[in-house]
Order: sequence, then C-alpha cells, then structure tokens
Amino acid sequence: MNEYLTISDALDGLRENEITATELVEKAIETGKSLDDELGIYIARYDEHAREAAAAADAVYAAGDEPGLLQGIPLGIKDIITTVEGETTAQSLVLDRSWGPAIGDAVVVQRMRDAGGVITGKTTTMEYAIGVPDWTKPFPIPRNPWNTEHWTGGSSSGTGNGVAAGAFLGGLGTDTGGSIRIPAAYCGISGIKATFGRVPKSGCVPLGYSLDHIGPMARSARDCAIMLQVLAGYDPSDACAVDAPVPDYLSGLTGDLTGLRVGVDTLAQHVGDDGDPATVAALQAAVSVLSELGATVTELALPYYAELNVATRVTSRSEAFAYHVPDFRSRWGDYFQSTRTGVGSAVAFTGADFVQAQRVRRVGQKAVAALFADVDVIVTPTASIGALSLEELGDLGGGWFRSMHTSYWNAVGNPALSVPMGFTAAALPLGMQIVTRPFDEATGLKVGEAYQRATRWHLAVPPLAGRYDVAVRDQGDLTDTAA
Amino acid sequence: MTGDDQKLDVVLEICGISPLPQDKEIMLKNFVTAREQAALLWGVAEARYEEPGLIFSAKL
Repeated sequence: MNEYLTISDALDGLRENEITATELVEKAIETGKSLDDELGIYIARYDEHAREAAAAADAVYAAGDEPGLLQGIPLGIKDIITTVEGETTAQSLVLDRSWGPAIGDAVVVQRMRDAGGVITGKTTTMEYAIGVPDWTKPFPIPRNPWNTEHWTGGSSSGTGNGVAAGAFLGGLGTDTGGSIRIPAAYCGISGIKATFGRVPKSGCVPLGYSLDHIGPMARSARDCAIMLQVLAGYDPSDACAVDAPVPDYLSGLTGDLTGLRVGVDTLAQHVGDDGDPATVAALQAAVSVLSELGATVTELALPYYAELNVATRVTSRSEAFAYHVPDFRSRWGDYFQSTRTGVGSAVAFTGADFVQAQRVRRVGQKAVAALFADVDVIVTPTASIGALSLEELGDLGGGWFRSMHTSYWNAVGNPALSVPMGFTAAALPLGMQIVTRPFDEATGLKVGEAYQRATRWHLAVPPLAGRYDVAVRDQGDLTDTAA
Repeated sequence: MTGDDQKLDVVLEICGISPLPQDKEIMLKNFVTAREQAALLWGVAEARYEEPGLIFSAKL
C-alpha cells in the first residue's frame, strides 16, 4: 500500500480496474476542500466539471477503449493559464477578466484534456507570476504543507503545494526564472522546465516573453515524463515554439546510467554562509547515488554564473514592464507591492542594457554548450536553502534571492528538472536540479527517474496531505532514505 | 535628494508612473541595484560582437 499516489501508480490502478477515475477525483476534491483554507492551493475549484470529466474517463476504461496518457488523472492549472471552465485572474486585481474566456483553453490545457486529464481547478500563484505574497490583497496566501509557517516558493505555488498535499496528482506551472523548480524543491515534488520553445505558451499571461516556459509539476520524474509527453510539441500560436521532433520520453526511463557523464557544481561559492549546510551534503549523497547507478562524476563550475542570472533579471523585468506599463500608469496601487516595485525597477534599464543582456545570453549559451562537450548532465542544488518562512520574504530585493539557482537556465534555455533530494534539519525539502543539452529533456528525465528508483525522497508525505488509500504496485526494496 | 533619487524621478516621469509614497524607498533600492546589475552585464566585453537573440520572426 502506498498512500501517496503518483500519476503512474494511478494509471496502473485505472487500467487494472483497481480504482475508478471518479474515486480518484472525489478524493482530490475532498483533499482540496479540506486543506485549501490552510494551504491556499486554489483560486477556483471546478468540482462539477471535474466530476463530469472523471465520469467520461471511466466510460473510456469501461468500454475498453485506448485511454489517453492522462485519462482520469486529476490535474491543477496555475491561474495564469487559460481554461474554458472559468476566468483567469493571474491572482491580480488588474488583469482584464474577459481575457481568459476570450481565449478558451490554452494549447497545453487542450492537450491535457485531449489526453483524458481532469482539470480540478486553477491554482494560486504570485501576482502575474512574480513577487511574493501580499496580505493586503484579497487572494489566498499559499503555505507549505511541510510547515505552514513557510512559503511554497513561487510562482507556481498552488500547483506545488497542491501536488505535495495530494489535492491533485499533477499540474501545470510556469517558469521564467525558476517558478516551476523552486516550488517543486520547496514542496518536495518534481518539476521540469523543458527547453525554451519545446512547450507552446500561448494562452498564458506573459511575464518574460523570451524566458517563459509552461511545464509539468508532479510527484515523480516519471510523472513529469508522462505529462511532458502530452505537453511538448510545436504549435504555431506561440511565436517562440520550436518545430522539433518530440521523442518517446517514457521508453528512455531504463534506470541504467552506465556511461553517463555527470558534471556537478554545488554553487556553494555563490551563497557563502547564507546556504544551508544540509544542501551540499544532500547533493553529495545524491551524486553518490548517480555514481552507483553507473554514471561517472566530475566537478565543474558554471561559467558566467552571476552575469547570466542578471541577464535573466534584466530581460524579465524589461519584458514584463512592456506588458504592464499601461496599467502601471493608471492602476499602480492595485498591483501587489512586490510586483509593481519589482517589475517597475525596469525603469533603470536602457534599451542598450536589454540588448546587452541578450548578447550575454548568447555568450552564455556558447559557454554552456562547451561544458556539454565533456558531460551529458549537469547537476546543482535547485536552491541552497529550504523554504523560507513567510515572515522572511520581504520584497523581491531580498538577499535570499541569490540562494536560488534556477534563473541561470532560463537565460540559456536548457531543460532543467528538479527532484527531491533530502531535507534540512528543520524537515524542509531540498531539490536537485538536473540540466541537459537543449531539446534533450529525455536524458534529464532518465537521470531523475533512475535516481527515484533508488531513493524515496519523492514519496515522502508532508504533515498536511490527503491520503489515497489505493492498492498500487509494490514499491520494491527501495532504500528507505526518506526522513 | 541624492543623485539616484533625481534620476529615478526623471525616468518615472518619462514612463508616466507615479509610485505610492510607501513604494519610494523600495523603488530607490531597486533602482540602484538595477544599475549595478546593468553594469555587470557590460563587463562581459566578449558580448560586444554577438548577434543578440531578439523576439522577432518574419513568420506570423
């Protein structure tokens, strides 16, 4: 018995008639209802729509038809991505409420729906996917199910804590500087930002046009692979989408890392005493697991580390400012303080600064490509600390920002997966970031899945979580490493 | 007022933005940080002759 279902487990149970989609979705609805006030998971729940979709999924299984890759799986959608069930708010008083319904389903939502996914609702974010919670505005404050005095990370906060708490089994986040990977790390789940352009982002409120990614968040790397299989692929509605073939991600999950070359950077030199010592120890232990699985490991140093993080910041602020400046002129006070002062800081940048940021990104891409001549995978901590307490957050200028190691990869566009790798002394989850060459998500997912065959961090259940009392396949003799 | 105060006021006026009084201190701090960050980017001298990737495609 595994109380903490993965998407993969649930699909097995559905195919083998051990559970129905209706039972799964009712459990998700019950969990959402019981924990939402405490955790701030949802902006809106679509219970009746979800029940109808679950019934339709059950009909597919009952008829013996070929199910979709997500047939009957309850899924949450970050509320900056449009769906037909209701409006999109971007957790803001400012966004025109008619914008989302005019679009209908975003391409990614339509793809999940076509694959049989059941949309349970729209999840909390930071306003417009940037900033920190604001107690003065009429929106839920997302809290971490491992400790509700702590933040979920952002901005895909509700998808992160919702998966961790079992309010749904997977969901969509977006990532402009780490907004999938940071909440995944802080909440103890998995999440992947694919290569820039791999997943169409039309139907998503923009933050940084040249940095935004939509991607899956779920319990395991295998679950992320299932979801990415559905989400990936060209669509002409996104000017940044790339028309590249999508491989079979699931067939590559062999568990064998023999011959794989892994480069490791702890990034400890960039955070100094601000890092939690548990992070480096957890990463070293994780790398040892990869080595035991057949990988060869070398140390390396990420080039242009500070410069590329700054390039992401200059680019995202400038691109976001272009989107928001008309509303800044007339509705400044309606924005969250961290949004308006964070995005508003773009007034400091010149047009030439923006172009220089793009040139630095090119320099960085080439330097990173050179690294990948000698390694197949780069691993780092996702962040050098566990989830911050809500009291510590302050504004976006907080020094804590440098403890996050995600925005570097938005600057250069490589795919990056975060998987749980342990806990701090305060029992807060830590994440390992697994990065591969552009359009080689398959190798990162393979590494993450192999790591999760050998560890149980991704199956650890937070204190606040719904339990899925469903018989699933035996988890085998996994090393009992979860705290 | 410091020099940075004055520069910030000028660019805010150019952009047509009037921050609330409680935002001024954060805006100034962010402004100074942003200028430092821009300077860091210009320290990457080898970027001078790179062709930047920009958001444009002739294909609609």
